[in-house]
Amino acid sequence: MNLKPFEYVEATSVQEAVEALSAYGDGARIIAGGTVVVPLMKMRMVQPEALVSLMAVDGLAEVRADGGVAIGALATHRAVSRSLLVRDRLPILATACGRVASPVIRSMGTLGGNLCYGESASDPPPALLVLGGSVRLRGPDGDRTVPLEALFVGFYETAIGPQEVLTQIEVDPQPPDARWRYLKWTPRAREDKPLVGLAALVEMEDGTCRRARLAVGGVADRPVVLEQASAALSGRELDDQAMADAAEAAAAEVEPVDDLQASAGYRRDMLRVWVGRTLRDIASEERP
Amino acid sequence: MKRTVGLTVNGRSETVEIEGHWTLVQLLREGLQMLGTEEGCGEGSCGSCTVLVDGEPVRSCLFLAVRTEGREVATVEGLATDGRLDPVQQAFVEHGAVQCGFCTPGFLMTTKALLRDHPAPTDDEIREYLSGNFCRCGGYTLIVAAVRDAAGGDPAGGAAAEG
Repeated sequence: MNLKPFEYVEATSVQEAVEALSAYGDGARIIAGGTVVVPLMKMRMVQPEALVSLMAVDGLAEVRADGGVAIGALATHRAVSRSLLVRDRLPILATACGRVASPVIRSMGTLGGNLCYGESASDPPPALLVLGGSVRLRGPDGDRTVPLEALFVGFYETAIGPQEVLTQIEVDPQPPDARWRYLKWTPRAREDKPLVGLAALVEMEDGTCRRARLAVGGVADRPVVLEQASAALSGRELDDQAMADAAEAAAAEVEPVDDLQASAGYRRDMLRVWVGRTLRDIASEERP
Repeated sequence: MKRTVGLTVNGRSETVEIEGHWTLVQLLREGLQMLGTEEGCGEGSCGSCTVLVDGEPVRSCLFLAVRTEGREVATVEGLATDGRLDPVQQAFVEHGAVQCGFCTPGFLMTTKALLRDHPAPTDDEIREYLSGNFCRCGGYTLIVAAVRDAAGGDPAGGAAAEG
């Protein structure tokens, strides 16, 4: 399976990349690690006239402290999952990035590219959604910032314009005392995409849930925050009733996709099951 | 559009004429007539075409050939030295971890990267690291045994894991 011919533009700055995108109208696509755009081109699902590579742009793969953590768009899943800073301040994101596909794909694919793809069945987005933060975009009219919650707008659809380049992901710090899980459920093999990719962040105070935030990928048409399930927990003890209420709320609030991998009903059932199990796991965590 | 790239393959400098839309596996197989690297699925799922670029494992079916300019590529052809098999190859032979052999070059190159990251891997680490390499003969048990053995037989197989 081979690629059809395309122009190859190696940008050496973000500005150059933006100019190249503008020059080709809608005919160009950004390429970073290539784990998404190359297969899509081989399958003839996209046929760009030009690929604009970001890989020669200096400094775009940096991960640095910035209130929370600022992650350059070109940081690979492997780099994010192994970064001491991310492991220390955003352990749920390090864990989720460490579960993407298989090790070789993790060392090629980038977090920025992953977000631009806007795929629901992917590990990093739910972790980012429970943490909160924003992405920085550069376009012909300059820079703008989009909150992570507003990034995913539909089925493989994001708020990023066709001539914009995602340059950085700015993630709010994970509350250090929060209990957290990233649960990836794949019905077949370990390296598959998640059918349920559930991120949960629960802050407890004196036996009561002060704040909970749950998000899931793989179930709906895009990665979504489980607002109702999160609300069902806040202010309550993490007892069986509260956890069952949250699981029911999650199953009720999602609009699952229905495809060859699983029916909508099955996805809904599995979400209910895994929210329940994940919360029980969190509740049973022994803390001093 | 034709263009020329200069790179190092298994320690040898090469200048190759490529098409601008080629992937690395095409550069190797069509440009250099090096047929050791196999293209399986062509979309990054099966791991057969795995090679190392500057020491990092990549899927050569996804990696654009133009990006190899000035880089060092390592393929299965470079594993044996002076007619002696690499310890990983030797272990695959001794364990019969090769059936039809199509996936083997990818398993060998991924294993080289695995042993760099985990010089003494557990079975779980072996299975996790090789989870992106498919053997459709189903020879996984013998492959895991071979890798376990290769790790023991090659204690200097790489720098210590970074963590």
